[in-house]
Amino acid sequence: MAEAVKDNPISAFMKKRAADKPPKEEKRSRKEERERFKKRLATLTPMEQKYLKRKRAFDAVWPVCRALLVFGLCFVIIYPLLYMITAAFRPRSEMNDPTIIWLSRTYTLSNIKDAARTMEFGKTLLNTLFLNIGCSVLQVITCAITGYGFGRFNFKGKSILFGVVIMMILMPPQIILIPQYMFFRYFNPLGIYHMITQNYINLINSPLTMYMPALTANGIKAGLFIFLFRQSFRGLPKELEDAAYLDGCSPLKTFVSIMIPNAGSTFLTVFLLSVVWYWNDYYVSTSFFTDNSTIALQLKNLDASLTRVIFNNGNVKVNQRELIVWMESGCLISITPILVMYIFLQKNFTEGIARSGLTGM
Amino acid sequence: MRMSYEKKKGLYGYGFIALWFVGALMFFIIPVIQSFIYSFYDVKPDVGALIMSPLGFANYKRAFATDPDFRVNLTSMLGQTAWQLPVILVFSLFVAIIINQKFRGRTFARAVFFLPVIIATGPVYAIITGNLDTSGTADAEQFSTMFSSDMVDELLEFVGIYGFNDQLTDMLSTMTSDILNLVWKCGIQIIIFLSALQGIPTSAKEAAAIEGATSWEFFWKITLPYVSPMILVNLVYTIIDTFTDPTNVVMEQVLSVQDDWRYGYSAAMAWSYFAIVLIAVGIIFAVMNRIVYYDD
Repeated sequence: MAEAVKDNPISAFMKKRAADKPPKEEKRSRKEERERFKKRLATLTPMEQKYLKRKRAFDAVWPVCRALLVFGLCFVIIYPLLYMITAAFRPRSEMNDPTIIWLSRTYTLSNIKDAARTMEFGKTLLNTLFLNIGCSVLQVITCAITGYGFGRFNFKGKSILFGVVIMMILMPPQIILIPQYMFFRYFNPLGIYHMITQNYINLINSPLTMYMPALTANGIKAGLFIFLFRQSFRGLPKELEDAAYLDGCSPLKTFVSIMIPNAGSTFLTVFLLSVVWYWNDYYVSTSFFTDNSTIALQLKNLDASLTRVIFNNGNVKVNQRELIVWMESGCLISITPILVMYIFLQKNFTEGIARSGLTGM
Repeated sequence: MRMSYEKKKGLYGYGFIALWFVGALMFFIIPVIQSFIYSFYDVKPDVGALIMSPLGFANYKRAFATDPDFRVNLTSMLGQTAWQLPVILVFSLFVAIIINQKFRGRTFARAVFFLPVIIATGPVYAIITGNLDTSGTADAEQFSTMFSSDMVDELLEFVGIYGFNDQLTDMLSTMTSDILNLVWKCGIQIIIFLSALQGIPTSAKEAAAIEGATSWEFFWKITLPYVSPMILVNLVYTIIDTFTDPTNVVMEQVLSVQDDWRYGYSAAMAWSYFAIVLIAVGIIFAVMNRIVYYDD
């Protein structure tokens, strides 16, 4: 491809023109700049003058205001995180010292260790990764397939079925929680298992309660993801697909080899959101897990389990203020993995979101 | 038999959504219907099944007529959402416009503004705000007197407004002392607005620049019309997000009733709540669809 471009007469012409261009003007001093501006103003009508003056004043003031605003708002967002970090490394006794707000006198790692011990961090992390990453990947794939079906095919009943997707977005998950619980508690495969064995399968505490919905594009916030994928696939040019069909691709092959590579940024966005929502979910998992097997659950019940593990006695009452150091340590270690992932992906995430098909609804 | 190309393609469409449909039947459609049925019954858990005795509309009547908390929670929830909605929308549009401009450190600023999306949905957020409360570092007063409620009063007095409306002052001060909460709720909305801003066609921007539009005019004549479809999307998203948030008062009540094993009553409350959400969304759709500008 590169060779072809090299011999192209047009590109050669463009290169020559670029070489002929006068060298960039040297930077003028501020005074000269002002002189030039005045001269230019003199040649214009009063209305144009007014506009230019106003624009110049705005251009001078706005960056300063903007910097202040951005700094202030960023600070509001980062503030609790800063507090988390300082509190996590603070010795517990110093929580009661009124002279200490941000920086403590000494620093300690023992809070972090205690919190990690209480949460059984290693085991919980592995378990969460297994549930969380597995479900997220599955959910992204199945939602993409469903979104493609809704975005690119016309079939009878499509609008009604898509209405169901919209209802999935609108309906609070709390409404359907109990029927879902009953479904998993008294699991009855194909409706005949009970008839044959006079028994039910209890799926509570089994990872299947997370995996089964994810596998069928019905996991956490699946409706929103299907919607995003539909929008994004609809935005791709139709010619892409038609070319593939003409070349003899089946719809499935077209989807895998043509559509997926073209929707990369949507995949990334949905994957990130999916991981985050699974990671943070304690609502759905509290209902289906009776033990604290994920990080979010451990963290939710951290204050209860802390006294039991650290003092070997569930009845010890710890001062609320002193409890903070452990709670913040627990928060810190729980969000670190996801924060690291965010730092690596954020550039793609924040820059790529524009192409994710949110627009053009 | 040979099928037409279109028909064949349609069949493939069914194939693509089949997996989802099976799941939706199991995990969404049937549970929804069941929960709707529960709301008309007195439901008690038992081994292998639920014992249901029909009540008619008694659950609904109880929620609205006799339950002292439900109505109070509902109205406070609606009132809170009513003032939070415009604030969240204006704020996130403002932030989106700022971080859409070019300046040094923009990538960093964007990363920070989306940080709440990563953190705020989990238990972490509840814990850190709770901890900031107990340690007395919660209110915005901690880092700026600008936000302290006295300052708002004083500002109003300075302008010449002396306690002219207690409710308004109350609202302003809750708003300012709640700024942390507010900023932390705007992540997704900012993302949606940002993508809309980046979708404004260059031709429109150039035309405005050639005509000599000021930034103010540019905002009202170019930005707002192009962003308006996303304002609708954001409105609906914010409503759903605040209404389905498990930490809001109504949801908490529904959940606590559910924990008491009173499934029928909790289903009735959840459904009436959901009906109100649907009506709110419907009204907003109907009103906004007249205002929204579509490019093509």
